[in-house]
Amino acid sequence: MKPWRRLALGTLSVVTFVVTWEVVLALVRWDPFFMTTPSHIGTALREQLLGGRLWRDIGVSAEAFVVGLGLAVVVGIPIGLVMGWRRRAAFALDPLLTALYASPLIALAPLIIITAGVGLGARALLVFLLAVFPFVFNTFAGVRCTDPLLVNVVRSFGGTDRDLYVKVILPSVVPYVVAAARLAIGRGLIGILVGEFYAASEGLGFAISRFGDTYRLPEMFAGIVVLAVVAVGLTSGVRRIEASVAPWRAGRR
Amino acid sequence: MRGSPYIAADGVSVTFWSANRAPVAALADFDLRVARGQFVSLVGPSGCGKSTFLNVVLGLQRADAGEVRIDGRRVDGPAPDRAMVFQEFGLLPWRTAEANVELGLELRGMASAERRRRATELIQLVGLTGFERHYPHELSGGMKQRVGLARALATNPEILLMDEPFAALDAQTRDLMQAELLAVWERTRKTVLFVTHSIEEAAYLSDRVIVLSARPGRSKAEIDVRLPRPRDYEMRLSPEFNELKLAIWNALKEELKAGA
Repeated sequence: MKPWRRLALGTLSVVTFVVTWEVVLALVRWDPFFMTTPSHIGTALREQLLGGRLWRDIGVSAEAFVVGLGLAVVVGIPIGLVMGWRRRAAFALDPLLTALYASPLIALAPLIIITAGVGLGARALLVFLLAVFPFVFNTFAGVRCTDPLLVNVVRSFGGTDRDLYVKVILPSVVPYVVAAARLAIGRGLIGILVGEFYAASEGLGFAISRFGDTYRLPEMFAGIVVLAVVAVGLTSGVRRIEASVAPWRAGRR
Repeated sequence: MRGSPYIAADGVSVTFWSANRAPVAALADFDLRVARGQFVSLVGPSGCGKSTFLNVVLGLQRADAGEVRIDGRRVDGPAPDRAMVFQEFGLLPWRTAEANVELGLELRGMASAERRRRATELIQLVGLTGFERHYPHELSGGMKQRVGLARALATNPEILLMDEPFAALDAQTRDLMQAELLAVWERTRKTVLFVTHSIEEAAYLSDRVIVLSARPGRSKAEIDVRLPRPRDYEMRLSPEFNELKLAIWNALKEELKAGA
């Protein structure tokens, strides 16, 4: 499918959703205490962006998000590689990491905030804890799913272990890491919000929760819109990165 | 056979041991002599160890007993004098056709400019000029196997091992690839060990056809192919060709029953 058609279809569903929301609320009586319209949200969003406070909140949240996600990549991928390469490492780490992955780490948020405070470190740690596991497990799976035929091909030409890692295993892992990045972005955003809901005096999560607590629905939704836009932007950014680092997969969607 | 054979396999046996299951003897006491420049096909029922034998010659599979000697030297691992063309192509999906052809040269440490030149040559030999920058998923099955063949030939091996190279292709592509393989072989005159399930393919391509018994594979019969070369498609319609096929079939059919 051509890129512009993909974009057009995607936009169409968003526009339909917003227009339906607006029209339905224009037809029924509603209480601004519990409900708001896209046009109110738009106005609030513009004021917030012009007023500058929102930019600061975005910056504060982005910082923790980038640090946490970056750490998740740097720590998660090597752990996954080692687990894939060394059976002993896999046997040793798999049960523990699976247990951590499966349990709702959000429950640890209060503990992390008590011990690590409300600063950048605590929130980045929360993002890291949520985002690291997709990288570990996907990289692990990617190594394990390396095509044994390709291993034989490299061996048949006298390839060494190092050749195998560099020319077969690492490239095989790339699509798995990209899929992990998609998951990790979603989980990382949850980490940011929860951290800032619990304890923070700035940041996007703090803004959303403060406006929610004070029943300023348009302002609250403005924060949610920013979050949604960021999520969509990051996801399509990942797709672009994949197209440039893994062009052999570009034709497969 | 006159003089000392180029490839000499003596009493090669391979048994696969797996947890929870009885060991499977794939090859037992298998002998083979091949002269330099000969095209030899191995046919036999599924599981008779044909592919296993190729892997032993390649040096990826260790024989539990017996040995393979090439030009008098015992095989104990992969070496530049042998290259394999794989049934499922075995192309690296993240490399273009050109980069796949270069793989063997790269692993053997050839400099990059030299590699590129050699790859271009081989791509031309297998008729893929214009597709150098295509990724495997952009190529048809036949084209993928041309890349596989070019990759194997690029390292300029003495021996080409072909493990059912055309089995994954449709019938017409297969006919075409057989003709092209013959054309390439006429020009390069490699020693070829060719594993196939197709009697027709074996008869058409080979100087000799070795029929293997059902598992564990032993050499059961040898049929010399006396058809003149170069061969063409029309030759397959001749009475001699049909007699040849019948001879191979007769040697094979009891084994097929035993293996089925």
